[in-house]
Amino acid sequence: MDVRAPGSWSVVAVAVAVGGLVGVGNPLLRASTRPWRLGEFDPAGLQMQEGIAVPKVDAPSTQYAFGTMAEGAEETHKFVISNAGDAPLKITRGATSCSCTVSDFEAVEGGETDGEKLLPPGGAAELRLKWRGKTGGAFRQQATVFTNDPRRPEIVFVVEGFVVPVWKAEPKSIVLTSIPSQGGVKASSRIFTYGKEPPTVKEVSTPDSETSQFVSFTTAPLSAEEIARERGATGGVLLDVEILAGVPIGPLRKTILIDLLLPEIVRAEVTIEGTVAGDLALAGQGWDSSRQVLQLGTISGRTGTNTQVFITAKGAHRDAVHPVVRDVVPASMQVAVGEGKPVGSGAVMRFPLTITIPAGSAPCNHLGSSQAPAGRIVLDTGHPDSPTMTIPVSVAVGP
Amino acid sequence: MPSPVRPLCRRPLLPLARMAAWAGRRGAATILAVLVGGSVLPDWAPAARADEAPAGPSRGAGVSDETAATFQKRNGVVFQGWPQPKAVLVFTGELDGYIEPCGCTGKENQKGGLSRRRNFLGALAAAEWPVVALDLGDQVNRFGRQTEIKFGSIVDGLKAMQYAAVGFGPKDLRLPAEEVVAAVSAVGDTPTPFVCANVGLIGFDSGITPLHRVVEAGGLKIGITAVLGDAELAEIRNDLIATKPAAEALVEPAAALARAGCDHQVLLAFATPEETKKLAARYPQFDFVVTAGGAEEPPAQPEKLPPHRAAGNPPVDRHLLELGHKGMFAVVIGLFDDAALPIRSQRVPLDARWGEAEGMIRLLAGYQAQLETLGLTGLGLTPSRHPTGRRFAGSATCAECHKSSFEVWTNSGHANALTTLETQTPRRDGDPECLSCHVVGWAPQKFQPYEGGFMGVKATPHLAQQGCENCHGPAAAHASAERGQVRVPAADRERLRSELHLALDTPQAKQRVMNNCLECHDLDNSPQFDFDTYWPQVEHGEEPGAAAAAAAALE
Repeated sequence: MDVRAPGSWSVVAVAVAVGGLVGVGNPLLRASTRPWRLGEFDPAGLQMQEGIAVPKVDAPSTQYAFGTMAEGAEETHKFVISNAGDAPLKITRGATSCSCTVSDFEAVEGGETDGEKLLPPGGAAELRLKWRGKTGGAFRQQATVFTNDPRRPEIVFVVEGFVVPVWKAEPKSIVLTSIPSQGGVKASSRIFTYGKEPPTVKEVSTPDSETSQFVSFTTAPLSAEEIARERGATGGVLLDVEILAGVPIGPLRKTILIDLLLPEIVRAEVTIEGTVAGDLALAGQGWDSSRQVLQLGTISGRTGTNTQVFITAKGAHRDAVHPVVRDVVPASMQVAVGEGKPVGSGAVMRFPLTITIPAGSAPCNHLGSSQAPAGRIVLDTGHPDSPTMTIPVSVAVGP
Repeated sequence: MPSPVRPLCRRPLLPLARMAAWAGRRGAATILAVLVGGSVLPDWAPAARADEAPAGPSRGAGVSDETAATFQKRNGVVFQGWPQPKAVLVFTGELDGYIEPCGCTGKENQKGGLSRRRNFLGALAAAEWPVVALDLGDQVNRFGRQTEIKFGSIVDGLKAMQYAAVGFGPKDLRLPAEEVVAAVSAVGDTPTPFVCANVGLIGFDSGITPLHRVVEAGGLKIGITAVLGDAELAEIRNDLIATKPAAEALVEPAAALARAGCDHQVLLAFATPEETKKLAARYPQFDFVVTAGGAEEPPAQPEKLPPHRAAGNPPVDRHLLELGHKGMFAVVIGLFDDAALPIRSQRVPLDARWGEAEGMIRLLAGYQAQLETLGLTGLGLTPSRHPTGRRFAGSATCAECHKSSFEVWTNSGHANALTTLETQTPRRDGDPECLSCHVVGWAPQKFQPYEGGFMGVKATPHLAQQGCENCHGPAAAHASAERGQVRVPAADRERLRSELHLALDTPQAKQRVMNNCLECHDLDNSPQFDFDTYWPQVEHGEEPGAAAAAAAALE
């Protein structure tokens, strides 16, 4: 079929007409449909045509601060949504925060009460947000309402505040990551109270007796300055704890119960957690503390490998530690001990251990089984109580 | 549901003159064909309504329409009206040990978990959005062997999700440094994702974590560093970890990032909002500053910080980001090639619309397997004495006399509490954090057994499930007295009975009972718990004298 090409002027005329429409329309459309973000309640650009009735949502307040709430107390705030337009406004209850109670819409004037409703022009509804302060600390809860007002299709109502507990320990759990068996580690916890009366310590006890002889504790009133620094606190007690010498190596967990008179008796609880460790330790990629083995895995004999771990030494004899390699299995593994350096405040010395399986190493299997016992690195440490350190190594060298 | 609409035309129209000349060359038929059926028209299509699928990523792979719609309605639609971004910064943090949401009251009712996070990041990648994933830190919130294992598993997950940068939180650094180093160190040629300006694991010069990092995504250069606030540093009692005050430590990485010519600079500040704002004021080069603390849920929009006004440059908008707690949300910053709206933000609820990621489920299974292998003793769980000093008897012993109450219990969810852990995939019955509310004789909020409490199905089968004594108290002495196994005076027998009696007849008594329920039915695991609603489901009581008569028959 032959198609006769139109004349150039015809083409230009069509293009100008279409382009003109598009050129004028596109900016308008773009402005009217510009994406906007929650919280931008007045997105610019939407122009309603004269004479067409539209709903117009009016929610003058979308955020409310309850301030400070007591633990267990319940607070409610009512938000008002009204229709300032001249067409019916449809509002739908949308998403709410976990455990925040949101009422159905309650009619103020001209509406019904349910989760979705139509507000006539001039009508209004109330949305109640309720929060029970179950646990202490800051909270923020919200509820979303969807509307058929194209200028404001979604409104997020927010309530926030701070729940103050009866007491609060800071920290509630004293974690002493690495406790030397010589003891001497001290820590403290501040126990704040929020009632009318300042607390009096009636009794301090520890329910588990096994390690009691290795932990000592004292209490004293907190200073007015420290109490003032804690939001809402009206009183407080300082708990000082010391881990004593001889505490057995391994995990340590201890609970201290502090009975406070407020004037009713309230039991505060602080736990001490930590690990009592020896003076020498190993750290680095591949160190498996559960199995106490350095996992190098299967290495290609063609390429070999190189890795670095650290020996750490702490305690009174840390300056006496100077690791020297005494024995290595497999024999192809090369181990070099670097210079010792203090870490942080100097309570720990750090020695890099560079482990190399050179390219071209002979195949072997020391992955750690009955047929293939694990390899090892044996070091003379210089530590008077632990003169030798043996590091099991799980490694195989392939072809 | 009405919504903002997507832009009608994503491309600038051809200038009229060019169009006319082009038309002259190609002919009207071509123009019309292009206008009517070509690539321009779809951009002119009517705006998407709210009930249509939103433009941006809206669900995880394989998630049904119904599930996606349910959670969009429940927790809001995300990325409405977002065009293709140049890149997105995805912020997460303060996971607080919630490697997965608790399934106690239906996992679908809870937000968070690494599995959903993985699928969410996958959905962004599938939409070809260049992603820079960043985490503030505090992966865990407890201490002990289980927490060490969990930290390692979470870090493995973050590495698998290709996080560009991860900061440290104070609770991460309460773990033994050996464990932290083993988990975060570079593996082969893959660098560690961890970054921190003021924390040096085994010293600042150990080379384990860098002070800052620069990454590229979508043609943009993003500079990142992280710090712990000074108050958080005080929580760390670990001689193997070197620290510096935050403001002082930022001098070096800030200078390095300034030299690197970054398009955007991010400061991950694990500090209170107040301290973070001070750091942001001192280092105005960071246009996205993330803070710790704040409320459990992040605000819908980030707070604006005073713009950065560098001499000779236009002011740069700056934002303070809060992420909420427990990893329930991700906060996404979209970076656009759009002078009118160059930055958008979206708070993304990590709910069931994102589905589960197979790789993360395997990681969880590996974590549970490690717990199972070590066992309760291997995890260092040493039983503590119950506050009453008494021992447990088991629910079957109670049933010998309290028959009607036992029948109510048998028909309640409490009687299957451990079974639900055994039948999950992966099973959770080796996880102390789950067991503590699913067996008899544990301190629920401490995740620790009491002396004589449940220590495994083989050793203590009579203490499986959530039994009578978790509310009434340990009853071994009472049972022995009633059975006549020990001779006690009548007054003592009565005292043992009354010690286990719970009353609801006064507000104080009811509050005591409710407080005990809240030990397990807490905000995390039972957010809808209301005593007056739940109690009728397990309401029980004995006819006066019925139990005593049964006890008499036992003797």
